Amino acid sequence: MGGPAWLTAIFAAASLAVAVYCAGRLIAARRGHRPTELDTDGAHVIMGVAMAGMLVSGLRTLPSAIWEVVFAAGAAWFSYRMLQSRRGAQPSPWRSSHPLPHLVECAAMVFMFLILPSAAAGAATSGMSMTMTATESRFSFLTLPLALYLFGYVVWLGDRVTLHAPASALAAPTGDTRPAIGSGPGFAATQSYLAPRCAAICKITMGITMGYMLILML
Amino acid sequence: MSESLAVGHAQTRPAGRAAAADAAADAVGIAALDARRKLQLALGVIWVLDGILQFQPSMFTKSFPDMLAASAHGNPGVVAGPITWSANLIDHHVVVLNAIFATIQLALGLGIAWRPTLRLALAASIAWSLAVWWLGEGLGGILAGTASPVNGAPGPVILYAILAVLLWPADRDPGAPSVAGRATGRRPAQAVWLVLWGSLAAFALLPASRAPGVISDMLTDGADGAPAWLAWIDTHAASALSHHGLAASIVLAVLLALVAVAVYLPAPALRAAIVLAVVLAAAVWLAQGMGELFTGMATDPESGPLLALLALAFWPTVTRKEA
Repeated sequence: MGGPAWLTAIFAAASLAVAVYCAGRLIAARRGHRPTELDTDGAHVIMGVAMAGMLVSGLRTLPSAIWEVVFAAGAAWFSYRMLQSRRGAQPSPWRSSHPLPHLVECAAMVFMFLILPSAAAGAATSGMSMTMTATESRFSFLTLPLALYLFGYVVWLGDRVTLHAPASALAAPTGDTRPAIGSGPGFAATQSYLAPRCAAICKITMGITMGYMLILML
Repeated sequence: MSESLAVGHAQTRPAGRAAAADAAADAVGIAALDARRKLQLALGVIWVLDGILQFQPSMFTKSFPDMLAASAHGNPGVVAGPITWSANLIDHHVVVLNAIFATIQLALGLGIAWRPTLRLALAASIAWSLAVWWLGEGLGGILAGTASPVNGAPGPVILYAILAVLLWPADRDPGAPSVAGRATGRRPAQAVWLVLWGSLAAFALLPASRAPGVISDMLTDGADGAPAWLAWIDTHAASALSHHGLAASIVLAVLLALVAVAVYLPAPALRAAIVLAVVLAAAVWLAQGMGELFTGMATDPESGPLLALLALAFWPTVTRKEA
């Protein structure tokens, strides 16, 4: 399976752009004391780099085994967050308010890295462009549901992107005054959320790119 | 949308009433999804899937225009001519045109998801679906005599157009007993249901379905390129029906006809028929090898998921007496 190189390069560039932007969000949040979902942005920084490496072999950074551990840890974190929210824990503007999609993203990354090495063994040249398919895998039934879930998440996010910044993004949840990043002068938990629509667009971009990668594995 | 735009707007917006209004919109307009909006979003998901499927590597090769050209076979000249012309055009510019097609479908999905562009995206999806129904699917093989519910008749893409009309964000008949009737009125929606499922019942009795071995062959085709578990289902079903093709097509036609007329029955019977319709749609989808999604050559998930979505749009939300 070999997609046009320019297409995989575009998707790789998109995922890298998201990684860079989310890294910038983390820095801006720290400097400006503006809430952002630290776990989501952090996950997208790592995911963007890893996905770019899967799509274009020249952008590979770490061995698959390390990525598997990293994303397994990410999945564990978002599982923990999900359990916390189910137990009615106070939501924080500094953490993901919807951990399930990010749990699925991390799980999808682990899944793809587990499938990738066996497929890559023969080719070992060009990232996603090589013969990478889950159809022969006994876990092939997971590929389509994962892709559909991500597309569903993308569409759900699209529904929530408004022309105007949502009011809920302007203030922290009642009672939450925890300064997760530093507590310098001027910090207040009611600072406006950092670029909520851009955050949503990053999530949409990651969802589409990851969905594309999963569809390539069908 | 730049960060400065989003943040700047957020920082300069007036507090007080405006913020309260936004909070209400956030709570009601954004978070709350009614049944119609959920179905619209489901349609959006399928369009996004279509767009990404169109980005598959094989779509950038000669296989794609060849697949389109094949839909001209058996059609009258007036239908086949434009299909052949467009397939030739795509053949000469397959990379550029396929990238455009994929982007359009992705944009349709995202456009349906984003509320400000919902109407535009639905309207565009109707135009796009009609064009693809003709130039990409040869009108679903209706005029070629190859239409069968098992092979996706009346053409999956026409179902997108029907869904866009039924899920249009208008309330011509706010008291309609189902989502489907709200935009067009209950009688036109019922007529659409009757014609669609009735035509499927009729297609099931045509030679393209009832001839010996035809359904069995379609099931075998569905197993090609499928993962082992799906191939197992299709090959076993094909084997079971290999000598009972006529009986299978008659049973299928009767069930489809029951679904068709049930739209005029009371709500409890209609609900049962909708469950049956969803089951039939799932069975058809499995028979189609789940739209051949695993072959790398699928441009859409075929008719099964769309028929199921359409059926859910007719789910009676209130009883007729209440309506």
